[in-house]
Amino acid sequence: MKKYYLFPLLLITISLFSQSVEFEKSNFPGKKDELKLAKKQLDVGTEFYMQGRKEFDDFRKDFISQNKYAPVSNHDFRQAGITNFKDALTPLTTAYNFNPKNARLNYMLGICYFIIDPGNKTMLKIFSEAFSIDPKVEDDVEFYYAWALHLNSQWDDAITHYKAHLSKLQGKKAAFDIDDINKKIQECENGKKFSATPERVFVDNLGPNINSSYPDYGPAITADEETIMFTSRRDNTTGGKKDEGDNKYFEDIYTSTKINGKWQPAKQISKNINTETHDAVAGLSPDGGKMYVYRDMAKDGGDLYETTLFGADWEVPVKLNKNINTKYHENTVSLSYDGRQLYFVSNKESGLGNGDIYMCELDVKGNWGPSKNLGAVINTKYAEDGVYMHPDGKTMYFSSKGHNSMGGYDIFKSIFENGKWSEPVNLGYPINGPDDDVYFVVAGSGNRGYFASAKKDGYGDQDIYKITFLGPEKQPLLSTQDQLLAVIANPISNLKVENAVEVKMAKVTILKGIITDAKNNQPLEASIELIDNEKNQTLATFKSNSNTGKYLVTLPSGKNYGIAVKRDGYLFHSENFNLPEGADFQEYNKDVALKKIEIGSTIILKNIFFDFDKATIRPESANELERLIKLLNDNPTIKIELSSHTDSKGSDEYNLKLSDSRSKSVVDYLITKGINATRLVAKGYGETKPIDTNDTDEGRQNNRRTEFKILAK
Amino acid sequence: MKHLYLFFMLSFGYLKSQDTVKVASNIPPEQQAELDYNSGLSALSKENFNAAIELFSKAIVSKPLFDKAFSNRAIAYAQLKNFNLAINDINEAIKINNQNADIYFNKAMVYYKMSKRDSENVALMHCLKLNAAHADAAYYAGLFCYEDKDYDKSIEFYSKAIASNPNYAYAYNDRASAKRAKNDFIGAIADYEKALSINSKLPFIYNNLGSVYRLNKNYTKAIEAYTKAIQENPSYVVAYNNRGAAHFENDNLKAAESDFLEVLKKDPSNSGAYNNLASIAIKSKDYTKARDMANKAINIDGKNGAAYYNRGIARQMLREEGGSCEDWKKALELGVSGAKQFINASCLN
Repeated sequence: MKKYYLFPLLLITISLFSQSVEFEKSNFPGKKDELKLAKKQLDVGTEFYMQGRKEFDDFRKDFISQNKYAPVSNHDFRQAGITNFKDALTPLTTAYNFNPKNARLNYMLGICYFIIDPGNKTMLKIFSEAFSIDPKVEDDVEFYYAWALHLNSQWDDAITHYKAHLSKLQGKKAAFDIDDINKKIQECENGKKFSATPERVFVDNLGPNINSSYPDYGPAITADEETIMFTSRRDNTTGGKKDEGDNKYFEDIYTSTKINGKWQPAKQISKNINTETHDAVAGLSPDGGKMYVYRDMAKDGGDLYETTLFGADWEVPVKLNKNINTKYHENTVSLSYDGRQLYFVSNKESGLGNGDIYMCELDVKGNWGPSKNLGAVINTKYAEDGVYMHPDGKTMYFSSKGHNSMGGYDIFKSIFENGKWSEPVNLGYPINGPDDDVYFVVAGSGNRGYFASAKKDGYGDQDIYKITFLGPEKQPLLSTQDQLLAVIANPISNLKVENAVEVKMAKVTILKGIITDAKNNQPLEASIELIDNEKNQTLATFKSNSNTGKYLVTLPSGKNYGIAVKRDGYLFHSENFNLPEGADFQEYNKDVALKKIEIGSTIILKNIFFDFDKATIRPESANELERLIKLLNDNPTIKIELSSHTDSKGSDEYNLKLSDSRSKSVVDYLITKGINATRLVAKGYGETKPIDTNDTDEGRQNNRRTEFKILAK
Repeated sequence: MKHLYLFFMLSFGYLKSQDTVKVASNIPPEQQAELDYNSGLSALSKENFNAAIELFSKAIVSKPLFDKAFSNRAIAYAQLKNFNLAINDINEAIKINNQNADIYFNKAMVYYKMSKRDSENVALMHCLKLNAAHADAAYYAGLFCYEDKDYDKSIEFYSKAIASNPNYAYAYNDRASAKRAKNDFIGAIADYEKALSINSKLPFIYNNLGSVYRLNKNYTKAIEAYTKAIQENPSYVVAYNNRGAAHFENDNLKAAESDFLEVLKKDPSNSGAYNNLASIAIKSKDYTKARDMANKAINIDGKNGAAYYNRGIARQMLREEGGSCEDWKKALELGVSGAKQFINASCLN
């Protein structure tokens, strides 16, 4: 890095071997005037560049001398040479527009951007072109190309070129450069690792009401996240002056409040705080009642002050005591949750590096006692800054350019447990990136944080960002269904039904049949009387079906029953059943053909009973006789013959006499019941008119009968 | 043959309904009660509950101390969800005969349907006191304890039911579920498999078996069990859905999606399947699709807490933070306790 002053000689040498397009007539035939103009711009730009470069190189040399390491971050250069680089930028760009293929021109432009605006994507393109046109255009071209790749998170390519450049370095004189490149290679490895497993966070720029094209950083937020205070170096700074050291406006403190979730345009804080020099937010007490301010008064190296909120305004800041402030640079402050410990950053000589974190405690008199370096677990030989103590009382956030940073300041977390600080943990990508990430504070909820970062998508230089911590990846919730309980999955009728009872029934006979018209066989609805012949009682009356003529009746066995079938206009029909006991169940079919009331119609009166071998009518005949009486009363014009018949047992005379007596008994009975005798004819036929065989009991029973016949109507 | 009274029966097998013959009856009350009771029983078996009630009532009029008629009329009332009348009848039956374990069991069942848990338990215990080997009473006592989350006691009762009836597949199933609740997955698997060995035609038991395998992260076995459930009942969408869940948990999102789509083919208004498609989309980081699927699930079933939960995740990642908080709050309201941590982390200032 000592050959910058040999630039003209190198230019000649390299141009012999490279593909670089020199500003020569032969390369631009027919463009004489344009070439002349471009060359003039190149000369002017080169002049400014060289001056700026000298400042840049001198600064670097001094930095290494002071810190014993090369600048870690591009911000470490504190924009050395920026005025000249800015003056160089326009003419060099004009020359570049005429001839973009000149390696040296590309290199110079790259360096200008590196100082003026390293976040500008043009820087990477320019260095890339410079390197591809002529890798030897300058000894350090590959180093800055690698760094540009690094700043653009192109980790692998950056490592490749860092390593290539490293291979060219050797010897004791290159020791700092070797250390520097090794660190940067490690930073790229860290970046590669962290960006492969990004943290689940949203990182949001707080927007144009907070951020500007100037540096905005150092956020302090109230616990409710409704008010923010921050430092900015924008052009409306109090006094309107710039710091000659870096040609930027002096710091002022700004504030903004949130209304309906939106930050309002930031305003400068009280005039009690902001002065014409540097006034920066250094920290806020947990209750928001005290603010710590960084001020850079003459020859004090930058000190810390405390101001108290009184009503709506901040009081004039009071300088913290000498246990905190020294002739060196002190900045950020954070109080422990109980206000008894004060953490701050100082680059005092006794530290481990260029900015260390210290802590002091309140003594018995309420003053801050001697400060104590937090030690090598936290502090490195590189810079630490932006200390913030979480209200949990044990977690500290801070920024460091050491540890396993990805480049520049990264934010780390360490926990104080069992009397010691834990190994700092990098908050990971995308909170941290290859550039400076610093001044991290956590909101009261702990779910959001605020920090300053020089990310490429910002409004310019450093901006303030909000981090929303999303926590571990949220696993979706499936809708599943189990049917764990059987009766619910597959309901069953679980009630216990009592069984049927055995009904203690009599043995039965089913009597059934069809009632028809005797002449045309059409089914008839007829009234059916059921008579208990023993008790001479009508047990029930029911009807045959009007369509089918069917009837059915179930009768207990072991009894004698009479049945009378009646229908108006028809002669009634009677049957007698003597149902024997025995079988549990028997069926008896009896079809009945009713005869119409007309001359010649005959009917057997099956329920007229006589004493054995006598003509005495038995009482159980009463129902049948009542029916006969009713028939005669209902049809007062009819005349009937009442005849009695016997079977063939006994002599003909006897049978004739018996039948004659029985028919007369019936006629006499009817006369006693009011039937006119002229309507009645008694006739005994003996065994002369059998209707069945006399060879069987059943046949003989059928033959023993009383009939009537209609003689006149 | 104690009484020889005349009676009449209508033979419906012989006469058509229009052939009904009205006859006077002089059957003695006790026999009439028994006849009506038996007819009531026939009506009950045909689920003609109103007719059954009428017939049992007639039986009770004829024979006021007819405990079986009270008991069966109670069943008919219970089937008609007239639980208070059912309990009245059961109490009448108990007054007549307090040694019938089944009546106490019925009482417990009616209380079960009335969700009167304490009364149910008292009746069950009474039943078991009268008949310690009453398998159904032991089963329901197990169910009672299960619903009370007293899984140890539940297992004890189910075991008694099984001891009384070794082929009690339902008791094995439920005991398995109680073991599952105690994270005894091995015991649960053994019981589900025993239940299936008794009755291999019950798809819900295969489904339960699959779910235990899923909990045990044995996805191959889980998928196998769900597949059997589907084979037993090809329209059993629950098993399709759960098989999809097993594929999902086994990181086979394609197979999972196929099963969830099959559920929707068979049941287009299945909110759970839409929610599961939302889950797949979340896994695939397609948050727009996840939100759309969760929207569909919610439109079908506004009480699908999981869908609100998932839509909350999708909306957070789509930077609709306000909407995501509303969704998680709704999910929590609907019983998705996991939403609380998200609300605490992201929705409270």
